[in-house]
Amino acid sequence: MFDPSLVLSGPYRDLLVAGLLLSLELAAITLVFALPLAIGVALLRMAPARPLRWLGAAYVEAIRNVPLLAHMLFWYFGAPELLPEPLKRRLYEGNIEAISAVIALTLYTAAYMAEDIRSGMRAIPPVQMEAGRSLGLGFLATVRLVLLPQALRITVPPLISQTLNLWKNTSIATVIGVGELMYQAAQVESASFRSFEPFAFATLSYLSVSLLITGLAAWYQQRYPVRHF
Amino acid sequence: MRELIDTYGVYFLVGQYPNGPLGGLALTLLLSALALLLALPLGLALGLARLSPWRALRWPVSAFVFTVRATPLLMVVFWAYFGLPALTGYKSGQFATMLVALVVFDGAYLAEIVRAGVQGLGRGQMEAARALGLSHLQALRSVILPQALRHMLPSLVNQFVSTIKETSLGYIIGLSEVSFIASQINTQVFTKPAQVYLWLGFSYFVLCFALSRFAYWMQDRGQRRPATATPA
Amino acid sequence: MNPRSIVPAVLVAAALLPAFGARADELADIKSKGEIVIGVLGTDAPNSFVDPQTRDMVGYDIDLGKAIAQRLGVKPVFKQLAVAARIPELQQGRVDLLAATLTHTREREAQVDFSLTTFVTGQKVLVKKDSGITALAQLAGRKVLTVKGGTQVPNIRKAVPGVEVVTFENSQQAFLALQQGKGAGYVNDEASLLDDFAKLGAASAAYRILPENISVERIALGLRKNEPGFKAVVNDTLRALEQSGDAQRLFLKWYGPTTRLKLEKRSFKIDSDKIDG
Repeated sequence: MFDPSLVLSGPYRDLLVAGLLLSLELAAITLVFALPLAIGVALLRMAPARPLRWLGAAYVEAIRNVPLLAHMLFWYFGAPELLPEPLKRRLYEGNIEAISAVIALTLYTAAYMAEDIRSGMRAIPPVQMEAGRSLGLGFLATVRLVLLPQALRITVPPLISQTLNLWKNTSIATVIGVGELMYQAAQVESASFRSFEPFAFATLSYLSVSLLITGLAAWYQQRYPVRHF
Repeated sequence: MRELIDTYGVYFLVGQYPNGPLGGLALTLLLSALALLLALPLGLALGLARLSPWRALRWPVSAFVFTVRATPLLMVVFWAYFGLPALTGYKSGQFATMLVALVVFDGAYLAEIVRAGVQGLGRGQMEAARALGLSHLQALRSVILPQALRHMLPSLVNQFVSTIKETSLGYIIGLSEVSFIASQINTQVFTKPAQVYLWLGFSYFVLCFALSRFAYWMQDRGQRRPATATPA
Repeated sequence: MNPRSIVPAVLVAAALLPAFGARADELADIKSKGEIVIGVLGTDAPNSFVDPQTRDMVGYDIDLGKAIAQRLGVKPVFKQLAVAARIPELQQGRVDLLAATLTHTREREAQVDFSLTTFVTGQKVLVKKDSGITALAQLAGRKVLTVKGGTQVPNIRKAVPGVEVVTFENSQQAFLALQQGKGAGYVNDEASLLDDFAKLGAASAAYRILPENISVERIALGLRKNEPGFKAVVNDTLRALEQSGDAQRLFLKWYGPTTRLKLEKRSFKIDSDKIDG
């Protein structure tokens, strides 16, 4: 009745593995861009100047209150059309599908990570900031040398949780034609008329990587527990 | 932009209704509300099971909750889509499929909210209730849950916001929710894709932002009440 | 705890059994229900699409469905399906009949049954003139866009080895992507391509339809297997439509010179379900 050999060898397996690899690539590339962006937005939200704080808050609220699917559709069908012709043409010749997906994923993930980073920083008693400033360090220097190292311990577990969400969110890229795991599973399903085997493969792949990421979080919390003051 | 809204506004809001099934923003709202309503009892049951003293109950439920939370929602939707009729013999439409997927998915997330809410009360409440002679279940029903649920309200509203966003996946199985309708409108018009998708984003934003502000307000109000019972 | 989280997933999966409807008699079921559920695409003008003014579902397939419902004396209920979902939904009994631009192929005969062929068209590729592509072979190494889950993907891969295919949830999204220049070609049935061509209006001068057919598509209504009674009624209805001239009228209504497509005449008759010539 069920035929695991359908997906464990041959062309279908190659398709599915290619999809899995692309999903992993999408997640990795997004992470590289999202983290710095998230730190930047978190800093904006904590800046002394009110317009900067408002900008950070607007970014977070605007991104988080719209589903990722709508973001993907916008960055693929909507936004690139506003670019000038020659730039558009060059972009479309390349891998516009993956680029749009990464942009959508980066902005979305960074909005959530920024909030986690901000909570982490706020959990540090204000005296730390005051002490840093009174030692003559500027706002940014204090953040970099005093607050961030402490914030990291508190922040890393929620950030790993966001990475887990990112990993799951890569599946949405299928709607703009990115050949990641979900896309390939559906392809195999329509080519072979069998739904169980490709979807089981995909589910187990997602679960395995999720397990790895969760394991990483558990290890980190074990190794670097939060120090209370 | 104005002509866009004038021509397609009704289609965007209610889909084909009454010339066909309900669609658009109305369907998105209906689906989210129904899904959350049905997910609540499931989440409650699963959350309490995760806290139960009986290992035979705790471990399988924890495993189930973990598995669902580790899987993308889209995967759950596909399983519901292909597996539901085989499992139940009931021939479900796209709405029912999406509903089941959302209830299962949100149920697992609500289980965690319930668990955190109950654990946040502290052991003292349960110990006091048991000391007064109430059974485990009675204590849950009259002492723990009323307090925990009050604290969970902001999280529940935030989960509602998440559910509204999750309904967008109905697009992929051809459900006429608002993202699908927006794409239909876009292909009819096809010269204004940025505007159409901005309009879509803005609609979600208004809905979700209003609700999350409401949750924030509830949280603020809730903070002014003490977590434990006031002494007589 | 780690291995236990895999176990429930596998258990849930293992509990799923393929559903092959052992329906006693679909015809009797439909008559007793008083309605027939017809699966349509709703995104494929002029076969089935939503009229923007009335927000009604209309089209060539819709009219065929209505005729069959009328013959059975029941109410037609149209259910919109994604291209990739057509056959699964029919197999699982969620729809009774498919009027969803379904191509009759040998491979699919193992899954579903087909009525008499209701439409014959070729599958072709639409390109932009400034891409410089005039023949199929030039698409090798380029990106083509089409819809997920239909016959387009295998057909174009067979016709142009080395082509890169990107697929979308419905054909309209794929066509939009072509217009935006995100691919070199857009693959679909000639009838749909002509409709899109016409929709472009004056802008259609920038496009061309490559003359080679990558396949000949015989479109038919889809039915579940082992339903001789139901199939007989469906085919009788189609034959009656052909004989009375209504089939020709339907063709002219949706594809004829007064429509966007402006096809002069039908190249086929609804009288056979033979494929492969």
